Amino acid sequence: MTARSLRRVALYVGLVAAALVMVAPFLWTVSTALKPSADVFASPPKLIPDPATLANFQDVLTLLPFDRYLLNSVIVTGAIVLLNVIFGTMAAYAFAKLRFPGRNLIFAVMLLTLMVPFQVNLIPLYAIMVRLKEATGIIGADTYFGLIAPSAVQVFGIFLMRQFLRSIPNEILENARVDGASEWRILRSIVFPLATPGMATLAIFTFIAAWNDFLWPLIVTSSDDMRTLPVGLALLARKNTVNWGQTMAGTVLAAGPMIAVFLVLQRRFIEGLTAGAVKDVG
Amino acid sequence: MSRWTQPAVALAAVALVVSACGGAASPAPATQAPVTAPPASGAVESPAASLDTTPVTITVWDYYGEATPIKPAIEGFQKEYPWITVKYEALDWDSMNEKFAVGVAAGAAPDVATLDMTWIPTLASNGVLEDLSTVSGGMLNGAPIAEQYNAGADEAMRYDGAYVTMLFDFDAYALYYRADLFEKKGIAVPKSWDELRAAAKTLAEDTNGDGKPDKSLYQVWPDTFHYSQFLFQNGGAILTEDLAAAAFNSQEGVSALEFNTSFIDDGSGIYWGPDQGDQMAGFKDGTLAMFQNGPYMMGVLKSGAPEMAGMWKVATAPFSKQPGSYLGGTGLGIPVAAAHKDAAWLFVSYMLRPEQQIGVYTYAGAAPATNAALDSPELTKADPYFGGEAPFGIFLDAMKTATHFPYVQSWAEIQTPTMDDAVAATLLGQGSAKDALDAAAEETNALLKK
Amino acid sequence: MTLARLRRQSIGYALIAPAMITVVVFLLIPIVLSAYWSFTDYNGVRPPTWVGLDNYTTLLTSPRFQRSIWNTIAFVVLGMGLGPPLGLATALLLNRAMRFRGVFRVAFFLPVMTSLVVVATIWKMLYNENGLINEILRLFSLPGHNWLSDPNTALPAIVVASVWQGFGFETVVFLAALGGIPRDYYDAARVDGAGRWALFRHVTLPGLRPTILFIYIIGIIGSFQVFDQIFVMTQGGPVNATRTMVFDLYDKFNSLHLGEASAVAYILFVILATLSWIQFRFFGERD
Repeated sequence: MTARSLRRVALYVGLVAAALVMVAPFLWTVSTALKPSADVFASPPKLIPDPATLANFQDVLTLLPFDRYLLNSVIVTGAIVLLNVIFGTMAAYAFAKLRFPGRNLIFAVMLLTLMVPFQVNLIPLYAIMVRLKEATGIIGADTYFGLIAPSAVQVFGIFLMRQFLRSIPNEILENARVDGASEWRILRSIVFPLATPGMATLAIFTFIAAWNDFLWPLIVTSSDDMRTLPVGLALLARKNTVNWGQTMAGTVLAAGPMIAVFLVLQRRFIEGLTAGAVKDVG
Repeated sequence: MSRWTQPAVALAAVALVVSACGGAASPAPATQAPVTAPPASGAVESPAASLDTTPVTITVWDYYGEATPIKPAIEGFQKEYPWITVKYEALDWDSMNEKFAVGVAAGAAPDVATLDMTWIPTLASNGVLEDLSTVSGGMLNGAPIAEQYNAGADEAMRYDGAYVTMLFDFDAYALYYRADLFEKKGIAVPKSWDELRAAAKTLAEDTNGDGKPDKSLYQVWPDTFHYSQFLFQNGGAILTEDLAAAAFNSQEGVSALEFNTSFIDDGSGIYWGPDQGDQMAGFKDGTLAMFQNGPYMMGVLKSGAPEMAGMWKVATAPFSKQPGSYLGGTGLGIPVAAAHKDAAWLFVSYMLRPEQQIGVYTYAGAAPATNAALDSPELTKADPYFGGEAPFGIFLDAMKTATHFPYVQSWAEIQTPTMDDAVAATLLGQGSAKDALDAAAEETNALLKK
Repeated sequence: MTLARLRRQSIGYALIAPAMITVVVFLLIPIVLSAYWSFTDYNGVRPPTWVGLDNYTTLLTSPRFQRSIWNTIAFVVLGMGLGPPLGLATALLLNRAMRFRGVFRVAFFLPVMTSLVVVATIWKMLYNENGLINEILRLFSLPGHNWLSDPNTALPAIVVASVWQGFGFETVVFLAALGGIPRDYYDAARVDGAGRWALFRHVTLPGLRPTILFIYIIGIIGSFQVFDQIFVMTQGGPVNATRTMVFDLYDKFNSLHLGEASAVAYILFVILATLSWIQFRFFGERD
């Protein structure tokens, strides 16, 4: 065996071991979800559920309006991802490549908002939403607007895209301008295509954060049929105990769509673009 | 709306007449079993005015979760009070605390909420809770409030003399023990601290041969709930009578904490920190043979460990000088900022009728709080899970000798982290009980001054 | 000022308008309000009364809060010392042509997709007296340990769980960034005779510079605000060994000390703003 292929094997072994470390806790989660409640704390602990049962999954789907929660999560998360990818990239391009008075100051202020823990904003933000609902009836607290609007364009996303976009060589943009292209044209035909891996990354992160968000949806919704998955699933806890089988089943069901989205996005964009780019570096 | 006015007025008239006659059954739906009424107390004041029947919607927040006794009662309530629509919101215990604070502060408070009794000092002292004496006129379902609860519960519902919450379920500690192991080892049910320690020592077993007992241990919680139990039993108090200074670092308090620590020291107890995980595992795999906790654990054991039926029994908590426990539970509260307080009070009253109060036990496995409900045969019948005994009576006695936490503004911080830290530090061997309690007392006194 | 330049500037404003509106209405207004509250004794019910710097001095002189600051800094240093290097190493390893690359990527990213609460719950079980970690140790005849009840190991234990959850984030960001470094740079350098390490130092690292800055700024801002894991795993214990600043905030918030809670937030803010400024100044781009 050559040194090279030995290195390859070592690499694979290392990666597989590491991957197992990452995945093992989830296998345990799935295992718990498949156990009847008597077995969840069986001693000694059973790794493979036997008997395995789908009862916990059935419970979650029947005890809670799971389909409604799922629908809400899909709508809210989808909207947040779309809005962030579009408006976030637009703003990021402006911050990265355009010059206008106050640019750095505005960007700095935006970054500063990241440094305030969200909790202190809860009361004023919720108060704003309550007033909006009272005044208009259709936007504000306990509406999709209330769930989506505060996260519609996130500074995190603008920051991420700005860093990506900085690496676009200025010459390309200058040439296009010299050729008479408008900024919008440049955005559409040059920037967006080049920024695709960044946008896919942003989409993934925004999706995850929005899908898993608990605190704000908890506060802003008061009707059961406006709740998102994380808030709805929290109800599986009784006043003094937790039904672990059901909770884990809920976690598995809630994670499914996210994993699916990741699989689609990561293959289409990141995979496609890095496939031919750099090999064997570092 | 006019369709309902006549029956509603008739209902109100009946209520007026009935209460003026002095304490007959409340106007419950005919299908319910008759309720034993509190004794007539002479000239009883009738409710202030006849019921206002403009349609309202009240928001009710409930942290009981899946096993709630409140949700099933809503239908009956809306039938009886057809002009009131209940908007029900289910939350879990952790979220309730936070959401309630935000809701109140942001101007979107609910009309009724389930509130843990340990939150009452904070909420009441900050003026969040409505004075229920005003809304109710001192009456609950046709009789004075004070007559429907025992003295300890009645006091726990008051802040500065006024009622701020209605106790809905109570929490007080008793001793749960593995009766089968007691029998196997010939141990009698302990009644004093010394007997408890002796029992724990006899039970503790070292099954993995490492020199330290690891099975059949006594559960030692590093928190103020369990420490205060020993403090009260030893004749101590948390604060001085005038609520101006800490009193838990007295001689009685120090020996109480040392007693708590003695289980860790001699290996017969296990420090129940986050590494121990869910208690249920500890019960089922035999790690725990004795623990002290509230009535709701009866329901938890039955549903989580049905195979252990007959193995567990409940006894009065062993004490040194006098029986004692912390008194907690759930109260129903109406925020000052609530939009519809009168309708909210009707809901609270409805939930406190014996038929609904029993639901606390049958749905949530917890202990109802009103005298009428506690007299119910449902609660005092022999329970096959607990060896054919009726453990409820023991909890009832515990409730009667329980003391609620001091209602001072800074109670939340005094309990957690100040006193909790002193208890945990001592149990972890970081210092002596006296030093830890003295330090906590100093911090407490500073907090009380603010 | 040419017309073209003017037009470009106004387009700049147009492009940032949606972001600006969202930030001003839903972030800046609440921030200004809560900053005001930090100088008052607001409890959510009574109108606030001005107390000046009282909240700040009370906090900064309180031993418990000082411990919180210390614990938070320790958490950040440990976490940011482990996470990004691990993420970069993994990204470099995965950036080769290899079979099952997609599968590995999913495996490393799975924890990132999971909410912190779920991750913390799972790890709390792993750290259990009879949990997986102690079981594995005993398999090798090593003693088990009360990871979360020992003041010395509680915080590192939480760091491990947090890094496990988070370094997949850095991996994916680095992977995308690596894809953006033009191939020609590598080819040119190789032609000049650069070996592996030189390639890394002179082509990869500089190319990743804006990304590294981003990772560290976002990472530090995020780790300083650690809360979910503390809440689930230790509630700040044992005896304040894992108490962090946002946990303090949460505590004061729930006991209706909104003035003090806001003060905690703005002390945190000042720390983060200072650190970010330092990072931008010394490691940032030259514009």
